[in-house]
Amino acid sequence: MKRFVTVLLAVAVGWLWATAPLAQEDMETVPNDAFTSPQRPPAVFVHDAHNEAAGIDECNRCHHVYREGQLVPDESSEDYRCSDCHAETAADDGMPALMGAFHGNCKQCHLELENGPVMCGECHQRP
Amino acid sequence: MHAIYGWVTGPLTWIAFLLFFGGLLYRLVQLLILVRRKEPFIFSYMSLKYSLRSILHWILPFGTVNWRLHPVMTIVTFAFHICLLVAPVFLMAHAILFEEAWGFGWPSLPDVAADWMTLIVIAGAVFFLVRRIVRPEVRFVTSTSDYVLLAVVAAPFVTGFIAYHQLFAYRWMLVAHIVSGQVMLVAIPFTRLVHMLFAPLTRAYTGSEFGGVRHAVDW
Ligand code: HEC
Ligand code: HEC
Ligand code: HEC
Ligand code: HEC
Repeated sequence: MKRFVTVLLAVAVGWLWATAPLAQEDMETVPNDAFTSPQRPPAVFVHDAHNEAAGIDECNRCHHVYREGQLVPDESSEDYRCSDCHAETAADDGMPALMGAFHGNCKQCHLELENGPVMCGECHQRP
Repeated sequence: MHAIYGWVTGPLTWIAFLLFFGGLLYRLVQLLILVRRKEPFIFSYMSLKYSLRSILHWILPFGTVNWRLHPVMTIVTFAFHICLLVAPVFLMAHAILFEEAWGFGWPSLPDVAADWMTLIVIAGAVFFLVRRIVRPEVRFVTSTSDYVLLAVVAAPFVTGFIAYHQLFAYRWMLVAHIVSGQVMLVAIPFTRLVHMLFAPLTRAYTGSEFGGVRHAVDW
């Protein structure tokens, strides 16, 4: 009986842990679960440490909101996944597809600032 | 690293492709001028039908007597050349970089497929190398430039493989990969690698002569 309770508890704790939403402060890679069959290891991205080191104050530098094609300056969309708006395959409405959205956000900034990784394997690091 | 990466993916890439396409055009024009001066009558019997017929036989594995006589060499040659062309052109990373630069890309192979094709190219290069060393009749006609050309062709694939798997020195390996690819592109028009352009032309000419003049087949 005692053993049964222990197992039950362990399962419950495990279940809670597994389904608890991952907070951004724990994020170490950008999840690639929105891609049907990912080809590369997920990109290294220690969310909070990265943004601190890069000196990005505005959440909506990445978690942006557009209205009628215009970037809304003081709203942000961190409650959404990028994949909620960016589809995996490109539609012809001018929206970047999901991979293009990530590369356009991450790599583009690194190229412009000449700081931060720009080579495939610097982000998609193999374990 | 940003400066080096920017340089090899920017100006160096432009130079490599300009020399590649410009060089091929130059070799083609040079060839046509030579033919016009030395043997202008060739143009009188060039035939599209016989040209295509000859090319078709020679690009089919075992499509010619010569291919059938050397089955191992034939299989390795075809596997090597197909992978050599297809892997880089349809590599996902190349298509992504092109799309980032030009706004459009093309369908690409899964990485696993390209990885295997790369191994086939490397294995093919090793086969050609060993063949040159151990077969006396081949060694006899081999010069240093043959080894250099083989290395020039193999280098982008070896460095690409190491970089993709991040085996060691990733950043330097990627730079080495890009530069060796550029060296190979530039080498194509200006070395015997020009057979990429001339091989079909030679077949067209031979096929036309055999078909239209000698009424024989050239395969
Ligand atoms: C450099 C770009 C960037 C900046 C700046 C940024 N984030 Fe994020 N954040 C991301 C990415 C990428 C994800 C993953 C999104 C996804 O999976 O679709 C993410 C995910 C999140 C998540 C969801 C975590 C999860 O695991 O689902 C939260 C919450 C979040 N960010 C909050 C913030 C807040 C608050 C700020 C501002 C203080 C901020 N972010 C700034 C890029 C950024
Ligand atoms: C609420 C919906 C929404 C979410 C969530 C969203 N985007 Fe976007 N994004 C858009 C829209 C709409 C556009 C297109 C604007 C246009 O028409 O040019 C866009 C454009 C972009 C662009 C191209 C223009 C630019 O700003 O550079 C990039 C890159 C991009 N998004 C990356 C991301 C990333 C990365 C995330 C997740 C961190 C994300 N987006 C989350 C709606 C969203
Ligand atoms: C607004 C510009 C900007 C955006 C957007 C941005 N980065 Fe960065 N990133 C930087 C800067 C600047 C650095 C260098 C920070 C430093 O000096 O350490 C950096 C460094 C990095 C590093 C290496 C240091 C580390 O934290 O491990 C990685 C990996 C990285 N970025 C990944 C990403 C990814 C993935 C994204 C997209 C989700 C992204 N970055 C979006 C500016 C940006
Ligand atoms: C600045 C960081 C960065 C660089 C550099 C970068 N990527 Fe990505 N890439 C990402 C992020 C973030 C995603 C979103 C999903 C994830 O984490 O893998 C992504 C997604 C992808 C995807 C779709 C998901 C998958 O695994 O199939 C592919 C394919 C991809 N990248 C290939 C490449 C290639 C090839 C290069 C080099 C030409 C490259 N990336 C360079 C950050 C980067």
